[in-house]
Amino acid sequence: MTTDELTQLLVQQPIAVLHRLARGRVHRHFRTGKRRLIELLLQHSSQNLAGLESDLQALIGERQTRAQAAPARPAAPRPAAQHPSAPPPGRRPHRPHEPESTEPAVSLAAWLEGLGVPTPQPFVPDPWQGEALAGLAETDVVVSVPTGSGKTYVAVEAARRAMEENRTVIYTSPLKALSNTKFTEFSKIFGSDRVGILTGDRQDNSQAPLLIMTTEILRNLLYDAASGEIDVRLDTLGLVILDESQYLADPERGVVWEETIIFCPSQAKLLLLSASIGNPQDIADWLTSIRPSPCRLVRHSKRTVPLRAGYLHPDGKLTPLFRTAGIPYGHPGQLHPEAKRLFVQYEEDTLPSGRPRR
Amino acid sequence: MPPSIHPVDLIAALREKSLTPAIVFLTSRRACDEAMEAFDHARTVLPPARQEAIAAALERVIAQYPSIAEHPLIPTVQRIGVAAHHAGHLPSWKIAIEELMRQGCLDAVFATTTLAAGVDFPARTVVITQSSIRKARDFMDLTIGEVQQIAGRAGRRGKDYVGFAVVTPSPYIDLHVLTKGFTGSPEAIDSQFTISYPMVLNLLKAHPHEQIQAILAKSFAQFQLNQRATVLEGKLDVLHTQMEPFGPRVCTDWITQWHTFDQARRQKPHRHQIARNESPEVTARFHFMTPGRVVGFNKGRGIVLRQYRSKGQKSPMVTVLRAGGAVTESPAGIVTDVFDRLFECTEQPNYPWCTTESFDELLYQLTELPTRLPLLPILVSKESELIPDAIVQTLGDFPCPTCSSRPACQKDYLMASRLRQEQQRHIKSIQALRTSLWHRFQERIDVLQKFGYLSPTSHLTDDGEWARLIRIDHSLLITELIRAEAFAGADPAVLTGVMASIAHDDDRPGAFPRVSTGLSSLLGQVRKLAESLSPYEDPPLLRADIAAVAERWVSDPGLTWIGLCRSTTMAEGDIYRLLARTLEFLSQLHTLKDTHPGLADSASKAIDLIRRGVLEELP
Repeated sequence: MTTDELTQLLVQQPIAVLHRLARGRVHRHFRTGKRRLIELLLQHSSQNLAGLESDLQALIGERQTRAQAAPARPAAPRPAAQHPSAPPPGRRPHRPHEPESTEPAVSLAAWLEGLGVPTPQPFVPDPWQGEALAGLAETDVVVSVPTGSGKTYVAVEAARRAMEENRTVIYTSPLKALSNTKFTEFSKIFGSDRVGILTGDRQDNSQAPLLIMTTEILRNLLYDAASGEIDVRLDTLGLVILDESQYLADPERGVVWEETIIFCPSQAKLLLLSASIGNPQDIADWLTSIRPSPCRLVRHSKRTVPLRAGYLHPDGKLTPLFRTAGIPYGHPGQLHPEAKRLFVQYEEDTLPSGRPRR
Repeated sequence: MPPSIHPVDLIAALREKSLTPAIVFLTSRRACDEAMEAFDHARTVLPPARQEAIAAALERVIAQYPSIAEHPLIPTVQRIGVAAHHAGHLPSWKIAIEELMRQGCLDAVFATTTLAAGVDFPARTVVITQSSIRKARDFMDLTIGEVQQIAGRAGRRGKDYVGFAVVTPSPYIDLHVLTKGFTGSPEAIDSQFTISYPMVLNLLKAHPHEQIQAILAKSFAQFQLNQRATVLEGKLDVLHTQMEPFGPRVCTDWITQWHTFDQARRQKPHRHQIARNESPEVTARFHFMTPGRVVGFNKGRGIVLRQYRSKGQKSPMVTVLRAGGAVTESPAGIVTDVFDRLFECTEQPNYPWCTTESFDELLYQLTELPTRLPLLPILVSKESELIPDAIVQTLGDFPCPTCSSRPACQKDYLMASRLRQEQQRHIKSIQALRTSLWHRFQERIDVLQKFGYLSPTSHLTDDGEWARLIRIDHSLLITELIRAEAFAGADPAVLTGVMASIAHDDDRPGAFPRVSTGLSSLLGQVRKLAESLSPYEDPPLLRADIAAVAERWVSDPGLTWIGLCRSTTMAEGDIYRLLARTLEFLSQLHTLKDTHPGLADSASKAIDLIRRGVLEELP
């Protein structure tokens, strides 16, 4: 086989095969595009093209036998992205385009399967919840978990433990409405005499060991304490819980969270509860750099209740949105063919010019 | 085909697949209200048992919050089992709906996407109908974090095995944004640290001026700036090694020598023609608008393809690649933001100024840019350096023509000077990153000194001592009003009206015709003052209709909540929020009781008068 033929053959292969081929041959091959990868492969094995060729043939053979074996297996809903074949060489498409997978797309019935109400089970804390509470015994903790994973349980348990040590707990939330909800909720758990609320215009039971307030109020308290108008209760402060701390990035109010964290007394532990964000490690590193003890980061991205995405056409037809029943994380292009067809039809029907946007 | 599914059909489709209870996120409050109206004539009603359950649950909430007993939506909620939940409703109504949702009485709630974060109750299904939301008067695509926040409401722990997020299209939906949101990992968050006047006053009250820089260094903003500076320092190290071959030669500073020579050669012929009337900001920024740089305009963003000076006026110009592949020529002055993002761009001497591959690549990168990008901090030097005439005149005495290393210098000069320019640019950037917060703080100090809240030695003056207690938006306007004694003798109602108009920051239209003469003349003064303060603080909207609503509530204690709502077109929830925010502002005035007893007294009277009826229900 000449070099040209070999190049042709390499071009026809999916990129995954090329990457497997590049293992041990090309340094940092995972960083390169296809064309560059082929170039590098040929360059690196210019002394031993025969060896490269035989390895390639072996990989192609293995792939074919696997492709034949695949339909024999039951079509379990499995992320179909494991063998992506190569995108057409040449211009890069403007949308990440995923090629058709070999597995059939999930059916509506399979997508709806498992719908129902689980039998009530005794509550067992998730490992991350335990981890967060254990971390809080020693140091500050940053929690970044998906919405609805049970951050409130961590807040309640942490508050309970701090209050058992006769320490004051402050719980802040960004919205007054959320503060009110939590006030009701915590009053039910701890008893109304042990929970107080401070908002911009009202104070209720402000001597209680567990105080709920908006973050602005806590910031003001800390400023008053810093300028000498000492609030005695800051000495007994043991725990500050900042809920929804992804508000740190709010254009108007984010600064309040920063001020609160900077001025938070060092003897009080900080518990930052946040929805999933991209850089919780940065927040933890930041806390480590300004607080007395290194901060513990607890993060996970798996939802407690798994999510499925669907597409409902205006004529009432429901289909899965993705080829798989679950969410194909990292592969936004794996749309269900039916959903894709319906959406294209929708765009054609509703856009005045009949042209797709972009 | 209908542009979007009819609410009744939507609920029917969800019920059929047992995907209820669901939260339906719609574009606007109005869409939510119209969805509720659509059920007025719906024939599918709930079985009597469920209707009774809803009625019983509502009873319990109404006992706690009597203000919602007459709510016009109650019949629909009971009959159909659907409800609307948005910022136009009273908090107590929202609490009632959340309670019904938790007990599983309702099949669907219509909410606005804008306030998805305030929807703190889960359901089996969320329905998403749009891919962008209105932020600061502009429509922005949902971020991945926001899509996941919305999807996070799907699936109730312990009540569902799986949660469902159903996308149903409406005009202007972009499916790509949503699929990216479902499958992607959320964006990194950036600090939004701003330095406000009360922050400066409070910091200087508690800490001496010298310590402030150390405190600012503890902010997340500085942490992130340091991260970026560290990256630049790494690049600087690389440049340093690249510069090694260009060390001292016959003259130690041959690069500068050649640079000056080069500059002089270029400037000499038309040295008198260049009338540089561009602002120093533009000059400073122009250096950073190199090919591949992402820049922002009033509308949209673009990537610079080349920079040049125009033929006649020598004004700085850039050629920019805009969304959709348009290549535009613009003066550098209309670039509003220079972002800290530079893409590879292989330049080419003619249109489109870069190779086709990098054009495609840049166009792709432009569509994939995240919504928020860090700005490049740029230090503005006040005067541009002109080469002293002396040097130009001594050009004839330049030693180079006879120098032994002249050929080598001439060969290396371009490379070395490019590297050194890059080095200097990085050094400047690093310096700006390390000190920008401190500079911003200093700017605030200067303003506060100018107005007399701080002494020239940066200690709080008597005015500063009380002004630091006003820790709300538009604090400078409020403290200046107090100093101008604008509120002297103002009765609680007028004070409430003014504070309400300062507190309100929503431009949603409302109407209320009658404003008392006292209030309108005071508002005129406030407007004038706000206008004069606008270089230092963004003026509030100061709407007269808002002031009138708040004034009316305070001046007429016999007025019922329903009476107040009837007198304006504002939504109930908006009025509630307006009064609650006014209360917050007034309670800040109340803290000035030691220095301004009259004002504090008036504020406390106003607080007592506001707090009645609906406003007393919630803690």
